[in-house]
Amino acid sequence: MKSFQHVNVFSVEEAVSTLKDCKGSARIIAGGTDILAVLKDQILPDYPEVLVNIKTIPGLEYIREDSSGLKIGPLVKLADLVSSPVVKENLKVLAGAAQTVGTPQIRNVGTVGGNLCQDTRCWYYRYPHSIGGRLLCLRKGSGPCLAATGDNRYHAIFGGRGCFAVCPSDIAVALLALGAEIKTTGARGSRTIPVQDFFNPLGNALEPEEMILEIQVPNPPAEAKQQFLKYTIRKPIDFAIVSVAVLVVMEGEVCSEARIALGAVAPGPLRATEAEGALKGKRLDTTTLEEAAGLAVKEAKPLSMNGYKVEIARALVARALSACL
Amino acid sequence: MSPYFITLIVNNQRYVLEIGNRPGGVKPSHTLAHTLRENLGLTGTKVGCNKGECGACTVLLEGKPVLSCLVLTVECDGKSITTIEGLEDSQTGKLDPIQQSFLESGAFQCGFCTPGMIMSVKALLSSSSSPTDEEIREALSGHYCRCISHYHVLEAVTRALHKSR
Ligand SMILES: Cc1cc2nc3c(=O)[nH]c(=O)nc-3n(C[C@@H](O)[C@@H](O)[C@H](O)COP(=O)(O)OP(=O)(O)OC[C@H]3O[C@@H](n4cnc5c(N)ncnc54)[C@H](O)[C@@H]3O)c2cc1C
Ligand code: SF4
Ligand code: FES
Ligand code: FES
Repeated sequence: MKSFQHVNVFSVEEAVSTLKDCKGSARIIAGGTDILAVLKDQILPDYPEVLVNIKTIPGLEYIREDSSGLKIGPLVKLADLVSSPVVKENLKVLAGAAQTVGTPQIRNVGTVGGNLCQDTRCWYYRYPHSIGGRLLCLRKGSGPCLAATGDNRYHAIFGGRGCFAVCPSDIAVALLALGAEIKTTGARGSRTIPVQDFFNPLGNALEPEEMILEIQVPNPPAEAKQQFLKYTIRKPIDFAIVSVAVLVVMEGEVCSEARIALGAVAPGPLRATEAEGALKGKRLDTTTLEEAAGLAVKEAKPLSMNGYKVEIARALVARALSACL
Repeated sequence: MSPYFITLIVNNQRYVLEIGNRPGGVKPSHTLAHTLRENLGLTGTKVGCNKGECGACTVLLEGKPVLSCLVLTVECDGKSITTIEGLEDSQTGKLDPIQQSFLESGAFQCGFCTPGMIMSVKALLSSSSSPTDEEIREALSGHYCRCISHYHVLEAVTRALHKSR
């Protein structure tokens, strides 16, 4: 790895002011499981001069319950999310999603904040500089998208505009279904961003000197059934080809609320609102589930090599819904 | 930046290391895997992929398995680390029962993945005395063996469990 300066910061204010002073040449390091690989492979034309270690800030590693829901600190490790009794009990999709991330060693170190902010896994974007030179593309601000005309088997089937890379975060999918919000702070003060507004086609909504302070998850309806499913080739280590988080509330025989979030199909996690609407007020049987699953992928626009992802997404939605019955 | 010092407790031994850009020192960009191997001479920890995908570099940090290729040494100040070299009994030289079981089961061929696998098994058996088959597989799911000794590894873990009973 090329050298950089490493700064331990001891408060959120210090983190923000250090990021600001470095004028875009500093990056936050939390668990480091993503950023260190980005730096080792030198995939980006700009190499940061400073890494700002936020693990030295006390009090950012908590899971706290209050009357409105659960508050999760950005430094909570994925392994601790999985083993937290309240998360397992109330937020089954979140525990389920975190459990599928990488490997035990990665979950022991990787954090919730880092998971949401991790860089995309598009293989052109990630191509190592040491093997013949990094590849430039639209996301790196230079040239066209290489996946649009190249091998795009793992790319977006919804909503790609210019760049067709997908958001690799598994927990983002669960947090979207749960209606979570992300509290941040930066040079211009604090704000709260709903998960659906956090991701954009080229990354996320954070300013260079802004950091995630807390994840706020409202209490899901008490009777809600939840299910997270992730399709991969190998069970451990692999990123999702498609993932889905669903939440279903039944009133007697009919469905009173359904939320369906799809992952790894678009630049951010995606709600399938039309499919959700089709379930509301219905009895859930094979016909209604299949119909909803069909609606969830109706607007898909696959690229030259990823039409198969449409079928996987459809099947996963149907399976996740039927697991909630 | 002026140089400063950090302390690592590796296999119960204290090491004070200078951080900075001086030759022979620990640079801020050095990974724990690099420091263990190049500065401390603990070459039992292997580096395969160097980016989190193979598990060969697994060591215990505060008792938990982590990938030493994705941890910066500067961030380990004051932390306790166990590597494969730390498993044998330092007084008698006797191998850890897990190491002994890997030997008896022939749970390796080239042995490159073995130190990492043993460290994950060590963490598992330290936290649970009777893990299920599923828990054993899960604990080992971050390890790749190019020589395909996976089934022998599962046998070795079962053997180690019997030894500890
Ligand atoms: C082999 C392998 C397999 C993986 N598989 C999966 C998978 O299946 N699913 C998945 O979701 N992920 C996977 N990952 C990605 C893994 O890195 C993340 O899941 C992990 O949670 C990242 O957290 P971190 O703390 O290590 O992030 P870091 O590497 O420390 O940071 C990642 C990014 O987030 C920024 N950042 C960190 N914290 C904050 C904050 N509080 N505010 C603002 N910005 C912040 C950093 O600046 C950096 O840009 C995998 C990684 C590897 C190496
Ligand atoms: S999908 Fe995005 S990251 Fe990948 S090559 Fe195209 S522009 Fe670059
Ligand atoms: S060398 Fe660290 S995971 Fe492969
Ligand atoms: S024994 Fe050769 S890689 Fe596992």
